[in-house]
Amino acid sequence: MMKIPYYPGCTLNTVAKGLDTSARESAAALGFEMEELKGWNCCGAAFPLTPDNLIGLTAPAKVLLNAKKEGGGSVMTLCSVCYNVLKRTNRVLRDDKEKRSIVTGFIEEDYDGSIDVIHYLEVLRDRVGFEKIKEAVKRPLKGIRAGAYYGCMLLRPFKEMGIDDHEAPTIMEGLLRALGCEAVDFPDKAECCGAHLAMTRTDIVERLSGNVMRSAAGRGAELIVTSCPLCQYNLEKSQKKTLEETPGYREVPVVYFTQLLGLALGQDEDTLGLGKNLWDIRPLLKSKGV
Amino acid sequence: MARIGVFVCQCGNNIEGTVDTKKVAEEAQKLPGVVYSRNYKFMCSSPGQEMLKEAIKKHRLDGVLVSACSPHMHEKTFRKASDAAGLNPFRCEMANIREQCSWVHHDRTKKTGTVKGNDLTRMAIERLKRNRPLKKINIPVTRRALVIGGGIAGIQAALDIAEGGREVILVEREPSIGGNMARLSETFPTMDCSQCILTPKMVEVELNEKIKLYAYSEVEKVDGYIGNFTVRIRRKAKYVDEDLCTGCGECIEKCPFKAGSEFELGLTSRKVIYTPFPQSVPNIPVIDAPNCPKFQKDKCGACAVVCGPKAIDFKQKDTVVEEKVGAVVVATGYQMMPNERFGEYGYGRFKDVISGMQFERLASSSGPTGGEIRRPSDGKVPETVVFIQCVGSRDEAKGVSYCSKVCCMYTAKHTMLFRHKVKSGQAYVFYMDIRAGGKRYEEFVRKAIEKDGAMYLRGRVSRVYEKDGKVVVCGADTLSNSQVEIEADMVVLATAVVSRKGSDGLARTIGIGSDRHGFYNEYHPKLKPVETVNAGIYLAGACMGPMDIPESVNMGSAAAGKVLGLFSSEEMAREPIVANVNERVCNACWDCVVACPYSAIERFTVKNGQGDVMGMHAKVNEGVCQGCGVCVAACRSKAIDLAGYTDEQVFAAINAF
Amino acid sequence: MSEHAQYEQTGAFEPKIMAFVCNWCTYAGADLAGTSRLEYRPNVRIIKLPCTGRIDPLFIIKAFENGADGVLVSGCHPGDCHYTTGNYHARRRWIAFKSLMEFTGIDMRRLHFSWVSASEAIKWVDLINGITEEVKILGPFVEYKGLKGEENG
Repeated sequence: MMKIPYYPGCTLNTVAKGLDTSARESAAALGFEMEELKGWNCCGAAFPLTPDNLIGLTAPAKVLLNAKKEGGGSVMTLCSVCYNVLKRTNRVLRDDKEKRSIVTGFIEEDYDGSIDVIHYLEVLRDRVGFEKIKEAVKRPLKGIRAGAYYGCMLLRPFKEMGIDDHEAPTIMEGLLRALGCEAVDFPDKAECCGAHLAMTRTDIVERLSGNVMRSAAGRGAELIVTSCPLCQYNLEKSQKKTLEETPGYREVPVVYFTQLLGLALGQDEDTLGLGKNLWDIRPLLKSKGV
Repeated sequence: MARIGVFVCQCGNNIEGTVDTKKVAEEAQKLPGVVYSRNYKFMCSSPGQEMLKEAIKKHRLDGVLVSACSPHMHEKTFRKASDAAGLNPFRCEMANIREQCSWVHHDRTKKTGTVKGNDLTRMAIERLKRNRPLKKINIPVTRRALVIGGGIAGIQAALDIAEGGREVILVEREPSIGGNMARLSETFPTMDCSQCILTPKMVEVELNEKIKLYAYSEVEKVDGYIGNFTVRIRRKAKYVDEDLCTGCGECIEKCPFKAGSEFELGLTSRKVIYTPFPQSVPNIPVIDAPNCPKFQKDKCGACAVVCGPKAIDFKQKDTVVEEKVGAVVVATGYQMMPNERFGEYGYGRFKDVISGMQFERLASSSGPTGGEIRRPSDGKVPETVVFIQCVGSRDEAKGVSYCSKVCCMYTAKHTMLFRHKVKSGQAYVFYMDIRAGGKRYEEFVRKAIEKDGAMYLRGRVSRVYEKDGKVVVCGADTLSNSQVEIEADMVVLATAVVSRKGSDGLARTIGIGSDRHGFYNEYHPKLKPVETVNAGIYLAGACMGPMDIPESVNMGSAAAGKVLGLFSSEEMAREPIVANVNERVCNACWDCVVACPYSAIERFTVKNGQGDVMGMHAKVNEGVCQGCGVCVAACRSKAIDLAGYTDEQVFAAINAF
Repeated sequence: MSEHAQYEQTGAFEPKIMAFVCNWCTYAGADLAGTSRLEYRPNVRIIKLPCTGRIDPLFIIKAFENGADGVLVSGCHPGDCHYTTGNYHARRRWIAFKSLMEFTGIDMRRLHFSWVSASEAIKWVDLINGITEEVKILGPFVEYKGLKGEENG
């Protein structure tokens, strides 16, 4: 069985447990194993935006260094933020010798940026293949109109992330179609959810996340999938407000793409962590006869 | 023994101030081979020159050294004087004891200057002794020009050259000449219709007996050098016999099949046998074989049935013709950057997001809507149109770094055309800066804003999406510091002007340079704007960079002027500072061939009378060689030397150090 | 060798610098230093060539052999070559040639490579003054002078 080194990140060990477990289960069903790094620490949760803030690169550099030492040649993530931070840090250390030497000074070990940082979605698309996933589906999610929400971190900055077209991405839609869903395209699928402002300015998060949800619901989405724990949290959490403010708006559950994948592959609903979601997806499944 | 005359100039006090010229002359006199030496107040004055001429005759001098100012200043003067006195002008040399000696060493005791003046003079004399007389090289000129590209720049160049009485071969890749200008509706800032001013010129090309037009053809190869080019042109099969076709159009009428029209940029379709547009020159249709059932499944053939003169020939093949010309004008034009790169603007995803060039067709009275502004998705007349400028231009991250120059103007024109045709319509323009430098350009933009009510918003667009049959444009208005959302019926993108696809390939074929954007390089951006590094090849129009119609026409005429200047005599003379190969020493390693920046060295095969190959050696084409000497230093067997700068001369100067 | 005699009199060593320059950029730059009446050390002797690409490495060796204490090669800036790419050839040759020169015992501080454009008179002046100073500290280059004697003898 293909083994892929896996970096879970902090959130997936705590509030986003469902993203982790559903991904592992699905991987097993699709013929690969996620091998968690033996030693890992927090990725830093934000890529430093000032060019001389190199201390912010040390945490992710350590993660990458460990991954290299463990010998995988690549490391896979699930969380969009971890993916963003690790991939961009890796690039800096690979291309900028000066910064690399400074970071080496901090962490007292040299890492050259030689491993590849990949996302679970890339594994599904490029290594497993959506066709193969389609064949493996045991419980086709027929009739479910699902919208893929990408947010910012998975796609941007485009030149550094390069996973998909940052303006009109399609990778998750490809997966949704393979699972039997009807993929709903909506204008705000790559807009910001409000991100860290969840801590300080909930009003902004409510407005931004509300825009996303209204935009999706307006196009007939009955379900949103995402790959980012923070997006998932913000979209779910702000929905109450959206319901209050928007006449005619009906609730739309927000799940991780891996949870939907697990469902379609016929996994036990309990191990997928669906119960942890704020808005239950199961009535929708029932109403569609899935 | 050489008979050298040395003339040391005082240049008033310019040299004499810090160099003892008398002493320099005396020192020179002591050198072997120097038979005459003196100093003089002003060597470049008439008496000075006369003195030089007399000395040449009187002392039978076979070489003259003028120790004076920089050769960049007066070498020509003294060589001319020598020539007049019967001495080969290349046997006259200069030592620079002013700019590089007296003026930079301010020692008033004259000690420093005199020592250095002596050294420089001595080195120059040793160099001069080994200087061979050289003859100016004359090369014949074929007085016929090739113009590549039949857009407005190429048309102008061709017409002007023909007007000057010389033959022109005009090669156009498409079935008709006219280029991008033929697509335009009206032109800024005068608002005259593009077709109305272009069509007469196209007809002129067709009627001019001096112009041979090869439409639907491409230049495959350009060999040779200034005055003597051989050009290979591929004439693509039209499947219509040009000599028989009368251009009646019956075949087009009866053809039952259609394909997307290139000329209309996909806004409508054309027949499979077609001319790009009704006023095409030549007015001879071509068959689009990949889309024609006759070629694909051997069905139909309706065109052949209806053709009166039996001009349809399904068996026609590409032909290759060779032409000899003396000069080439490259006027291959530009294209618009593919909009698909800009996902945030939704081009290709949303039908009502179109390019500026497509808008030209919508506004053109000969276009798919007959000049009515109707949006592509449902044919509705749009009430609100958003124009987005700088799509790709001035955008290093996703597009090109330069300004496309014409978009500000044509966008202003579009807003006016739109307002004139849709009286209740409102145009919005997102812009970065308005660049309207040009005669009556600024006034034109002001008119669009003030008279025709275009709403200009300074800011960029972040996103475009479809909503209930509208196209919603989200952007920033930086002047009011607010975010705006406009529900538009149609969006027009002012996409960047970029070089034609494959332009670098053509650059290699004809041996000219192109920049990182694929635009061709002029020899000098200010002083030689239509010449290229390859002598005899000239540039015109937007193949050099974004350019509007007046500028393209200027360039076309300028290139034609250069060509006619070159064609003014049957031969042209050039400086004889060229490399030459000692055939017996050359071991045919071809290092020189690779090193030459001008491709002036060829691999020459030596054959005997029976035609047996006896060997190979490098051979310098004197017409192409520019005399840089890179090949000389590259040659391992020392088989190449550079006239005027031979190894022998340089070593002699070093030895005299 | 009147010059040497003169320096011997004053007692101070004055190095002789040979400069191989291209006709279009550096030669014109040196001319500009003159027309601007700038002043610089008189130790340099210029040999004009059409292009730095014309410079045969042997020129440099011969210059040292003939009493040069330092050699300068200078042409157009990269991208500005009158002959499009001649100076790139010179640069490439220089890279290959450098290690050979070191091998033959020439102190690389005696050999300079520079770009001076037709407008850079000040750069030219600084360059010549700088090289003269540097070579002066190094002292006379005597290693090759014997060679010349042997050849002649």
